[in-house]
Amino acid sequence: MNLQCVVLQSDCNNCGGILIQYESAAGLCPSAGTVLWRRLRNSVYGCSWRRCSCLFVCLSVCVAFCSNGVEPSSRPAADRTLVRVQELTPHRGGQLVWVRARIHTSRAKGKQCFLVLRQQQFNVQALVAVGDRASKQMVKFAANITKESIVDVEAVVQTVEQKIESCSQQDVELHIERIFVISQAEPRLPLQLEDAVRPETEGEEEGRATVNQDTKLDNRVIDLRTTTSQAIFRLQSGVCQLFRDTLINKGFVEIQTPKIISAASEGGANVFTVSYFKTSAYLAQSPQLYKQMCICADFDKVFCVGPVFRAEDSNTHRHLTEFVGLDIEMAFNYHYHEVIDSITDTMVQIFKGLRDHFQTEIQTVGKQYPSEPFKFLEPTLRLEYREAVAMLRAAGVEMGDEEDLSTPNEKLLGRLVKEKYDTDFYVLDKYPLAVRPFYTMPDPNNPKYSNSYDMFMRGEEILSGAQRVHDAQLLTERALHHGIDLEKIKAYIDSFRYGAPPHAGGGIGLERVTMLYLGLHNVRQTSMFPRDPKRLTP
Amino acid sequence: MALKELSSLEKCLGLKKPNKYSTQGERKVPVLQNNNGPALVGLVTIASHLVHEAKRTELLGNSAEQRAVVQQWLEYRITRLDNCSKEEVKVILKELNQYLEDKVYLAGNSFTLADTLMYYGIHHIIMNLAVQEKEKFLNVTRWFDHIQHYPGVRHHLAPVVVLRNRVYPSGQH
Repeated sequence: MNLQCVVLQSDCNNCGGILIQYESAAGLCPSAGTVLWRRLRNSVYGCSWRRCSCLFVCLSVCVAFCSNGVEPSSRPAADRTLVRVQELTPHRGGQLVWVRARIHTSRAKGKQCFLVLRQQQFNVQALVAVGDRASKQMVKFAANITKESIVDVEAVVQTVEQKIESCSQQDVELHIERIFVISQAEPRLPLQLEDAVRPETEGEEEGRATVNQDTKLDNRVIDLRTTTSQAIFRLQSGVCQLFRDTLINKGFVEIQTPKIISAASEGGANVFTVSYFKTSAYLAQSPQLYKQMCICADFDKVFCVGPVFRAEDSNTHRHLTEFVGLDIEMAFNYHYHEVIDSITDTMVQIFKGLRDHFQTEIQTVGKQYPSEPFKFLEPTLRLEYREAVAMLRAAGVEMGDEEDLSTPNEKLLGRLVKEKYDTDFYVLDKYPLAVRPFYTMPDPNNPKYSNSYDMFMRGEEILSGAQRVHDAQLLTERALHHGIDLEKIKAYIDSFRYGAPPHAGGGIGLERVTMLYLGLHNVRQTSMFPRDPKRLTP
Repeated sequence: MALKELSSLEKCLGLKKPNKYSTQGERKVPVLQNNNGPALVGLVTIASHLVHEAKRTELLGNSAEQRAVVQQWLEYRITRLDNCSKEEVKVILKELNQYLEDKVYLAGNSFTLADTLMYYGIHHIIMNLAVQEKEKFLNVTRWFDHIQHYPGVRHHLAPVVVLRNRVYPSGQH
């Protein structure tokens, strides 16, 4: 079968192959699969769309002389530098640039095809128009590239008079001269990215689709590509970084604690068991015991960042079975308030760092999930438990003096504090002894209370901490009082026998802090691959 | 329940001699045995009678229109409010909230029996509302707080705490 062909370019920039344009008898292959070239017979070249080897109209596609016809995975860098979409601003007006991005949307209209090219949080409008640089077939080709495919384009940056509201790069447009497919995506996506980014209210009002959380989590790889997810996790990375930097500057040492342990640290109910050769072991519920042992080992101030495993069968908006714990432990000189001040200062530095360096991310998330900006006071507000109970009683809540705060009461208290002091972050000090774990140091002035504290963001608890009992005898008494089997915690008690400094600390959950800082409503949105009683994949 | 209300009402109206009431039927409808005539049956009837006895007829309304509105609310109390189901509570609160948007008292511009009896009737609902809900039905809460502080009205009922400032910003309902 002889086909008319025209050699456009005998030395493709991309792979060194021959650029050929064909006329076809059959027309465009309808199955729109991967573009593969195969040498069919000596003089005839055809493209086999995946699983269909009809001959077709080829449009400026590079012929690669490699075994499977796809772009060879690595080759020496061609003479092109790729420009980030983020940098496509009016100052590059008129320049010819190469950009690698994903096809976010494509819309063909007669002789033109409008594409939106996306790279992480940034997107830019691009145009393929029939002219001296592009043929009609090229426009058709561009329109048929499936969404999410990765493409290389060579284009002229054109400034526009009217701002393009729907893109992040609002002042420029790319006029494409050449386009290559680097990696093609399957035509049917499990979810549409525009739907995944649409705010709930807009979906309801205009009747447009939004994607529900389970679908997003099942197809996490695609959901993570959305601008909102990119922004959330960049901000989370910032939280981790600020945490580390602030503490290192304060003279803390980062430690790593074991996660496979022999005895449950916080109580036997919520612990995962793993088989450990001939016996079984547990996954650590918190680095509590090891942090303290490090203090007894003279490290003075330590912190650790690592996974925490809680086998709680809680299906709530704020519980995960595995999450990242940021834990602090510190020896103090005279009063455990030194530790509270240190922790709150760290948190304030984190908030400031996020506020100053991650505004773009905060705004991006705010587009899909609008919320009030996070407010905090300096120095951090610290209330005593008794005051909090009084505030709740003044608002009509009935509760006992030594009763723990229920979640609705915590939330109400958060709102009362916000109304009275105008802060979303505060510390509640001197909790009743009865509701705290056995290793909490009782208040020397009042045996009903303890030297323990919780910290709240937007009315939800993010940190539970306390001064620890550092005397082996007192610890034994408290353990017996709580009915704990001393054999199970023998190693723990032993670590305090050989001189232990007074110390205190606390731990926060990375996902919860990110969620509450941004004002989101479900911790799964801030956990990359969340784990909960019902979810074990991806 | 109704008997307690009536005795509170008597105190509120300043009647010196408390009457003896009995109840009738399984719904415990109050009955007042009168010396000169047939027995008075029903909360609203007895309440109106007490008002006349205390010579405080302004509590039933000054103008014809106000009197009509008072009667309307008294009827609302008995037919809609008493023994309403959980779903109806939301509907009632929404209706009341809308009605009270531009009114200080339920009927006209003065305190009437309608306010008293509606207050008695709605107390158990308002008492159990969370702070957020109280703010959602802001006008009802405002009216309720006003009536419960009115001198002489609140006798047998516990005071309901109403916060002076909004704790939930208006966008969050």
